[in-house]
Amino acid sequence: MSEMIDIIVDSQSYKVQNGSLLIDLLIKEKIKVPYFCYHESLGADGNCRMCMVEIEGQKRPQIACDTFIKPGMIIRSKGENIEKVRTDILELELINHPVDCPICDQAGECSLQEFYMEYGLHDSKISISEKVKHSKHLDLGSNVMLDQERCVLCARCTRFTDKITYTHELGIIGRGDEAKVTTMPGRKLDNPYAMNVVDLCPVGALTSKDFRFAQRVWFLQTVDSICHGCAKGCNIYIDHNKIKYQDDVIYRFRPRRNDNVNGFFICDAGRLSYKQLQENRLESAILNGEKITQMQAIAKAKELLAKHKENITVVIDANLYTEEIEAILAFAKELNAKVCSPKEVYRDESFKDDMLRSSNRAANYKTIERLNIDTKEPDSSSLILNFNHPQDFEATSVINFLTHNRLSLGLSLPIAAYSENEGTLTNEDGFTQKCEKAIFKNVPIPTIIEHLIRLRR
Amino acid sequence: MSFMFSKENLLKIEELKKRYPNPHALSLPCLWMAQYQEGFISLDAIDAISQIIHMPSMEIYGVATFYTMFRLEPSEKLIVDVCKTLSCKLCGSDEILEHLEKNDTIKLRHVECLGSCSTAPVMQINDVYYENLTIAKVDAILKELK
Amino acid sequence: MRDCKIVSRKFELPNSHTLEVSKAHGGYKTLEKLREHSPLEIIDIIKASNLRGKGGGGAPAGEKWELMPQNSLKPSFLAVNCDESEPGTFKDRQIITKDPHLLIEGILITCYAIRAKHAYIYIRGEYKQFQDILQGAIDEAYEDGLLKECDITVHRGAGAYICGEKSALLESMEGKRGHPRLKPKQKEPEWFFDNPTLVNNVETIATVPFIVQNGADAYRAFGTEQSPGTLLFSMSGHVQKPGVYEAEFGTSMMEYIRHFGGGVKGGKKLKAVIPGGVSCGVLTAEECENLTLDYEALRCMRSSLGTGGMILMDEDTDMVVALKNILEFYHEESCGQCTPCREGTGWSDKLVAKILEKKGTKEDLNKLLEIADTMNGKTICVFAPAASAVIVDFMRKFRDEFEAKL
Ligand SMILES: Cc1cc2nc3c(=O)[nH]c(=O)nc-3n(C[C@H](O)[C@H](O)[C@H](O)COP(=O)(O)O)c2cc1C
Ligand code: SF4
Ligand code: SF4
Ligand code: FES
Ligand code: FES
Repeated sequence: MSEMIDIIVDSQSYKVQNGSLLIDLLIKEKIKVPYFCYHESLGADGNCRMCMVEIEGQKRPQIACDTFIKPGMIIRSKGENIEKVRTDILELELINHPVDCPICDQAGECSLQEFYMEYGLHDSKISISEKVKHSKHLDLGSNVMLDQERCVLCARCTRFTDKITYTHELGIIGRGDEAKVTTMPGRKLDNPYAMNVVDLCPVGALTSKDFRFAQRVWFLQTVDSICHGCAKGCNIYIDHNKIKYQDDVIYRFRPRRNDNVNGFFICDAGRLSYKQLQENRLESAILNGEKITQMQAIAKAKELLAKHKENITVVIDANLYTEEIEAILAFAKELNAKVCSPKEVYRDESFKDDMLRSSNRAANYKTIERLNIDTKEPDSSSLILNFNHPQDFEATSVINFLTHNRLSLGLSLPIAAYSENEGTLTNEDGFTQKCEKAIFKNVPIPTIIEHLIRLRR
Repeated sequence: MSFMFSKENLLKIEELKKRYPNPHALSLPCLWMAQYQEGFISLDAIDAISQIIHMPSMEIYGVATFYTMFRLEPSEKLIVDVCKTLSCKLCGSDEILEHLEKNDTIKLRHVECLGSCSTAPVMQINDVYYENLTIAKVDAILKELK
Repeated sequence: MRDCKIVSRKFELPNSHTLEVSKAHGGYKTLEKLREHSPLEIIDIIKASNLRGKGGGGAPAGEKWELMPQNSLKPSFLAVNCDESEPGTFKDRQIITKDPHLLIEGILITCYAIRAKHAYIYIRGEYKQFQDILQGAIDEAYEDGLLKECDITVHRGAGAYICGEKSALLESMEGKRGHPRLKPKQKEPEWFFDNPTLVNNVETIATVPFIVQNGADAYRAFGTEQSPGTLLFSMSGHVQKPGVYEAEFGTSMMEYIRHFGGGVKGGKKLKAVIPGGVSCGVLTAEECENLTLDYEALRCMRSSLGTGGMILMDEDTDMVVALKNILEFYHEESCGQCTPCREGTGWSDKLVAKILEKKGTKEDLNKLLEIADTMNGKTICVFAPAASAVIVDFMRKFRDEFEAKL
């Protein structure tokens, strides 16, 4: 650890670590400096030349991403001079850019658009008709589409496949203004983290096929959550929107930075898991294949509980929130029931890698362990209460509490999915993290806790 | 993989490996060898090089497209590189270029200064320089090479 | 004009490229007494001579050598820059074809001084014919046992001007795209696969044997106080006898042109000279009148000596066409990583094309200067600033020709 020193940025004093990167300070302190190529996960490349600041004692403006802080530095990030420098560079950036924001998915979260609005270039007179033409709709694979004309050649995406995934699918070919990002001819972007390049791309050059044209981003609402794809517990944003009269819908998951857990990224499987989350939901109670009302279902459940009260087993899904698991345990205790959460089904060695993905595909497995819940399969019982555990078990009677439709006999009651509820999870490394409630359905599906209350009445 | 370096080239590569602190340095030398061996650099050749020097194929592909002398496609026609930069232009390269423009039996490329400005205009064919060009001289050279 | 053949001394001899001829005329003589000096003493001699890099920048060579560690755990390397792609420059080619053994001798001395065991010669891809001659000489040197303690490997480029820039050259030698690297914050050597490396131009290295053999003062006897010694100046374009002729720094430019070049081609009047490869600011004939060929004099003219490759343009030259030609070069050769350069070189080229088509406006001229300003001082390497200076100088000095085309 090197010492903390004082420097001045725009007449204000800051305490920073000697030798640290100036741009990190600017980002942390939310001092606005435009930049494309720098990214905290990828380091400096110094190619976009946008992050210019003035440093006292230096003749020319310097890029903040390649400036190491020294004691006594005096920096100006604002002012006519430096803003002109940036405007000029930005103007050059726009020469070969199609400026097709109205049809671009990135509109609203595009650094280029943001900067050029800010630097007043919307009516820039770019007096040249023949822009360099490149391909506009390249399917790179892994749901990623590339528009080479929108690309600002910041090399974030190529550095991602070089330095983060070590898969090296992307690269820059050609040189000068003919340079462009691409894959090897006939080859695809193909790695379990590929879609992160969409978030990394500062402009609309890389877009998600999954999200393309689905929604304008400024309509979306964003909620903090945790991916339930595996025990890693990657932090995500849930982007959702409720269009009038329609139901609240998730449009995408995006990674949310957490240096303790997932850094900047999430895997594609987790990112796309929002689809399964919404598809094929169990929305009404079912008894032996027939729809019944909630009232009827609760009555039937109570009847079964009374009938089999000597021999009940409660099975818990290790993806449930800690609060839910604890409530179920309390309920089981009242019933004098056995409790288990069979773990074999969550084991998936093929999923594991050395980046983020864990072979344990249960988001709250740590809590099951902490609460000493049996992880073996249940012995034969006369009644099984299955709280969304993915397996089905034999018993004289079964009451399922399910988020999704499942071919199973007996009684099934619908429960809210994690996006429709809030709660905490503990990941495999012991970090306890909170998920906010994202989705407010027109007709809410009861949570497990609500069901338990009704069953007790 | 359909590309294989010739025995001779493989020997050369082994020798070269000893001359550099890291086999990545062999990317340009290997690309040259592949180009001489096949007349152009195929994607298969890039994969073969990738295996030999432990550099990702995509990176080698990016390298191959950075340098103007590498060809990623075969050319049936004779490739004629005529310098178009200032000294040659001042000494009449435009005429030569115009003349060759009409010749569709060759593949004409306008290249930047060949480092032969005192003998301008200049062209290069198959690594050989032809200097102090006139239209008559160009025609004679092309006839010779046919 | 004083005769001063330091590097070109053996050029005119028949078979000057062979070891036999070289040795018969004093080649490799310095090696006999080299070990009487310590490596640091050699560096001191070079420093005392104030030998300046002959690849275009004119940086004092001794100071660069001094940055090389004398007791490094990692191996040290020498990379000799024979990329020679600056338009108007063709001098290194003369050395590797006419006296390659002088270069090898220089390499051996340099490697001794910086404690390198391996030198690479990075040669532009187009120079295959000349590379073969150079390689022949190296092979001869190996056979003769001259390279027992130091290896020399020729590394061939493949067509990229920017690889002459020293860090791009090393990137290229590392097998990558020739992208110049971000500049270090303090004085340090260059790095080849993280090993300390010295990059010098062919002619710089070829000057070393003379200095070590005859002493720093012998070298300083030529040239001026601040630009001592000689350079293989060259001429091309509208000149009677184009070619490479060694002269001492401080020589009058016009006298040089008259003496070696026989004046302007066809007896026409001189209009302008680009003094040291296209990256140096253009000079009008009047400006050349009393000009001497040394770093300081050209700096005074807001131009630079560059590689010493003068391009002459006669009275009939269309300066807009000339600028367009140079901008095409920059457009074609930009490595493309920095935004101002990647976009600026292309845009300015297209703007001048528009002016040539007589579709330009006054606004385009101003835009051109604005682009030039954006390209200046904001990029990783000095390629874009050089392009910028070219635009500014042409427009400043020949503005009327541009305006006439609007
Ligand atoms: C764009 C650019 C191109 C260059 N091209 C060459 C070149 O072709 N040959 C060369 O020797 N130096 C060239 N240089 C200079 C080198 O970066 C480096 O300074 C030089 O090789 C150092 O050797 P010297 O000090 O002996 O001149 C170039 C520099 C730049 C910025
Ligand atoms: S595609 Fe996007 S991330 Fe990749 S280089 Fe272009 S702008 Fe940068
Ligand atoms: S200034 Fe131009 S040539 Fe130099 S690094 Fe930047 S883009 Fe490449
Ligand atoms: S962010 Fe600093 S140059 Fe791009
Ligand atoms: S300009 Fe043609 S060889 Fe130099």
